[in-house]
Amino acid sequence: MTPKKPYKRDVIIEVTTNLMFPLTLLFGLYVMIGTGGTGGGFQGGTILASTFILYITVHGHVKGREKMPESVNALFKSLGLFLYNGAGWICILFSLAGAQWLNMPAFWPVTDFVGVAGSRSFLVGYMVSVGIGLTVMASFVSQYFDLAWKEDEEMESGE
Amino acid sequence: MRPPAMKPLTLMGLLTAILLTAVSLYAVEDIPAFGDEDSAVNKYIKLFSIDSDARLVDNLNAGILPDEIRNKIYDLGFIKGPTCPGCQDENYPSLAEGNYKIEFIKKGTWLGGRLYTKDGWDVLIHEGEIFYNEPQQYYFISEANGGLSVYRYNWPVRVTEKTEEETFIINAVTSGLADYRGYDTMGEETVILTGAIGVILLLRRRGRL
Repeated sequence: MTPKKPYKRDVIIEVTTNLMFPLTLLFGLYVMIGTGGTGGGFQGGTILASTFILYITVHGHVKGREKMPESVNALFKSLGLFLYNGAGWICILFSLAGAQWLNMPAFWPVTDFVGVAGSRSFLVGYMVSVGIGLTVMASFVSQYFDLAWKEDEEMESGE
Repeated sequence: MRPPAMKPLTLMGLLTAILLTAVSLYAVEDIPAFGDEDSAVNKYIKLFSIDSDARLVDNLNAGILPDEIRNKIYDLGFIKGPTCPGCQDENYPSLAEGNYKIEFIKKGTWLGGRLYTKDGWDVLIHEGEIFYNEPQQYYFISEANGGLSVYRYNWPVRVTEKTEEETFIINAVTSGLADYRGYDTMGEETVILTGAIGVILLLRRRGRL
């Protein structure tokens, strides 16, 4: 069942959004993971969230739910924080409680392969930054969904 | 109404709460004590050292920064020296006469939130300087093995100089965000998650998940 739209369909905007969607996601991933250059978790997560917000704005929240289901959203929200804290936990676990929380070079399975510098950049670049990015993205998208529902309900009750 | 019996889920929640409390205690135990000489904030970085000399030591004791040290600092580029004779230094806080004062500090003194681990002369920004109303720690000069070593207190300078050596991350901003201030960033992320949960609780109705 396709929901009735309260506005007129615009082909140009929809096609442009469909074209932009994967490219913006890719750019968001680049900013989120490219900690050697500019950016980081917060900025990358915001760019990823803006991608989904654009899609929901153009296609409506019912079709937007297909791109970002609630189960995935809730998973991402908590998984981000879990990854950040997990990076700290890994350091304690793999050093048998010898190292401090978030003391990155204690992560010996990676340190053996790529050295101290590599393990530190690995944890900060991939676990910490990706964790921040996932939480930020999922939180913003979830808030936008909630507000879109609210507006929809008010329009229904007004008619 | 009687409280319901404890379900497996409630038990899991209780265990998680106990575990989280233990982790918090562990983390708090690990934070270095305020004023710890090995913590990142209290360290200063060594800029250079020159050969010691009775004249230099006398100058420092009299409260005058010798020209050798001043010119070396100008060469490093933290402060641009005067471009013409009689001009002011190019940026602040400057090392011109009257803008600084020198005090001898004994080892083990606690001053300005720092514990001094060696004897030396502290170069302070003077009270009358244009941009600083209070005396501020600026440079530190200590004598050891017949040489005068010059150190600089400054958090940004320290981060840019030492970040690759200490954290092995090329990007100084990322190392500050995720390594030096890791606890802070974890709190920020938690705040964002809590905000999202608050919006869900306020706006979302039952049965719409």
